[in-house]
Amino acid sequence: MANAVMGYKQSSFPTKLAAISGIALLIFIILPFVFGDFQLSLMSKLLLFGSLGISLDLVWGFTGILSFAHGVFFTLGGYASAYYLKLNLSADSNTYGGELPDFMVWNGLETLPWFIAPLKYFPVALVATVAVPALFAYILGYFIFRSKVSGVYITIITLAISSALTTFFVSQQAYTGGTNGITDVSKLSFLGSPIPPIGLYFIILAFTVFVLALSWWLTQSNLGLILRSINENEKRIAFLGYDVAQFKIFIWTLSAALAGMAGGLFVPLNQFISPVYLAVAFGTQVVIWVAIGGRGTLVGPLLAAILLGQVQNYAEKVTQDWQLVIGILLLVVVLFIPNGLMSLLPKQLSLANLSKPKVLQTSDAVKN
Amino acid sequence: MEAVLSVKETKMDGKMESVLSVKDLNVVFSGFKALSGVSLDVYDGEIVTIIGPNGAGKSTLLDAIVSKSPVFSGHIYYHGKDITNNSPHAIARMGIGRKFQNPNVYNELTVFDNILLALKGTHGILASIAAKLTKAKKGKIFDVLSRTGLVDQAFEQVSSLSHGQKQWVEIAMVLAQDPSIVLLDEPTAGMTADETYMTGEIIKSISKSHSVVVIEHDMEFVKQIAERIVVLHQGKVLAEGSVEEVQSNPKVIEVYLGHETIKAAA
Repeated sequence: MANAVMGYKQSSFPTKLAAISGIALLIFIILPFVFGDFQLSLMSKLLLFGSLGISLDLVWGFTGILSFAHGVFFTLGGYASAYYLKLNLSADSNTYGGELPDFMVWNGLETLPWFIAPLKYFPVALVATVAVPALFAYILGYFIFRSKVSGVYITIITLAISSALTTFFVSQQAYTGGTNGITDVSKLSFLGSPIPPIGLYFIILAFTVFVLALSWWLTQSNLGLILRSINENEKRIAFLGYDVAQFKIFIWTLSAALAGMAGGLFVPLNQFISPVYLAVAFGTQVVIWVAIGGRGTLVGPLLAAILLGQVQNYAEKVTQDWQLVIGILLLVVVLFIPNGLMSLLPKQLSLANLSKPKVLQTSDAVKN
Repeated sequence: MEAVLSVKETKMDGKMESVLSVKDLNVVFSGFKALSGVSLDVYDGEIVTIIGPNGAGKSTLLDAIVSKSPVFSGHIYYHGKDITNNSPHAIARMGIGRKFQNPNVYNELTVFDNILLALKGTHGILASIAAKLTKAKKGKIFDVLSRTGLVDQAFEQVSSLSHGQKQWVEIAMVLAQDPSIVLLDEPTAGMTADETYMTGEIIKSISKSHSVVVIEHDMEFVKQIAERIVVLHQGKVLAEGSVEEVQSNPKVIEVYLGHETIKAAA
C-alpha cells in the first residue's frame, strides 16, 4: 500500500506519447516540401477539418453531447474571416471599385452595414472569428443546459439550429451573399505581402497542434475526469457538489470557439465561404470524423478527417461513384469497428490508451 | 408518540442544536402523497436509522433533503439555514453527502478517480483545470480508502468490483466529500453477512465525526448500529425511539404484523 502511494506520480507527459507526437509532428513539417500545390492545399484543409473534429470530440466524445451544430460554429468564424478578406480587397480588384463588396452592390445596398464595417480591421476580425461563434454557443448552451435539456433532445436542437441558420444566411442575400456566400476574397497578407500557401500550411499546422495540445491538457486535468463523469452519469455528479450545467456550458463554448477559429483559417485557404458549411450535411461530416476516428481519443478525429479526405481525393480520380466508396467505408467502420479507428491500434501503442487520465497509466506503472 | 417526545426532550435537555431539521415536509408525486407532514431532527454525531415497509417514503425523504425530489410544502433546515429546494450541487457543497440505494458510482473510472472526483474542494471549472494531485489529497484519498477497506483496489476499474465493494466505493465517495451529515440509502443491500457487519463498523466509525442517517431493512444490522430509530409508514412518521422502544410499540407491531424481519428481530 505504501508503495502504491509512493509510486503514484503527478501527471507528466508520458515519454512514449512524447516520442510518437514528435515523430508525427516531424512528418507534418517535412510533408509540405514533398507535396505539390494541390496536396499542400488539401492537407491544409484536412488539418482544419481535423481540428474541427477535435473540437467536437470535446463535447461529444468526452462529455456525451452529440452536436450537429459544429459546422455552424465553424462557418460563423468563417464568415467573420471572409468579411475581413472581402473588405480588404484592393479597389482595383473589387468588381465595382470602391469599398462595397460586389454582392452588396448587386443587392442594392449603398453603404456598408455598421455591424460588418468594423471587420475591415484585422484585430476586430481576429477577435470576431472566436467571439461570434463562442457567444452564439454560450447563449444557446445557456438555455439548453440550464433548462436541463439532455440527450437526444440536444441533438435535435442542434439539427434545428443548423437548418435555421442555413435558411437565414441564404435569405439575407444583401448581407451574406446568399447561397453563393462570400467569394472572390483577397489573400491573407502579412506586412503587406500575401502569405504563400506553404506559409498558410504552417499557420494551420501550428493551430492544429494548439487545438490538440489544449484539448489534451484540459482532458488530462480534473476537468477531463468531471466531463467523463458527466458523460457516464450526470445526475450523480451533482450530488458531489458539481454544477453540471456550468461545466457543459464551458466545454460547449470553448469547443465552439475552437471550431470558429478553424473556420476563420479556412477562408484564407478556401477563398470563399457559403451556407453549405452551415448545413446539416457538413455538420454530419464532422460527426462522422469523430465516430470513425474514435470518440474521446482527440487524435482519432484528426486522423479520420485526413484519411477520409485523402480517400475521397483518390476515389474521385478513379471513379465517378466515389461517394459509394466513402459510403461503403463508413458502413464497414460503423459495423465492424464501432469504437473507431483508434481502437485498432495495439493497446500498448494506442494514443487513446496513452492519453487516458493519468491515474490509469500510473496504476500500470505501480503494478509492473 | 410518547417515545418521540422523550427522545426529543433528552436531546433538547442536552442543549444540542440539530444539524438537520425537517419540518412538516410534504412531497407529492402527481397527486400521490409520498410524504405527508414528516418532521425529523438530526443532531450532531448521532446515527438515525430510518425503517419502514416498502413505499413508506424512506428514499423520498432523503431525495427531498438533497433536492432530488421537489418539496411541495414544509421546510428543511441545515444548521438553521433553510435549504428547501436549493440546487443539488449547492446542498452537496454545504456538507450533505448522499449514498444512493443502488451503488451510484462511476464504473468506467478507477476507484481512485471516483474518490478524487468526490473530494471536498475543487468544484469550479478553473479550479478543476488547475487542480494538482497534492500529497495531502493523495493522503486523504488513501485514508478514505483504508477506512472502507479498498486500498488494494485503488487503481482497479470500478466495473470489475463486486456489488458489495461498489457499495463501499460509494460510501468512500461520501466520506471524501467530508460532509457534516451523511445520508446512506440501504448501504448493505446485496452484501454478504460479513460485508454487512463490516459496513456496520464503518458506519459506526463515520458517526464519530459525522451525523449519519441510514435507511435499512435488515433488523440485525439496525441493532448493530442503531442509536435512534424512526419508523416511516405511508409517508408519515409512525414512531421514533430506541430499538427496544420501537419494537415494543404496538403501532409498529401492527404495521409490521407478519413481516418477517421485525418478527425475527423481536
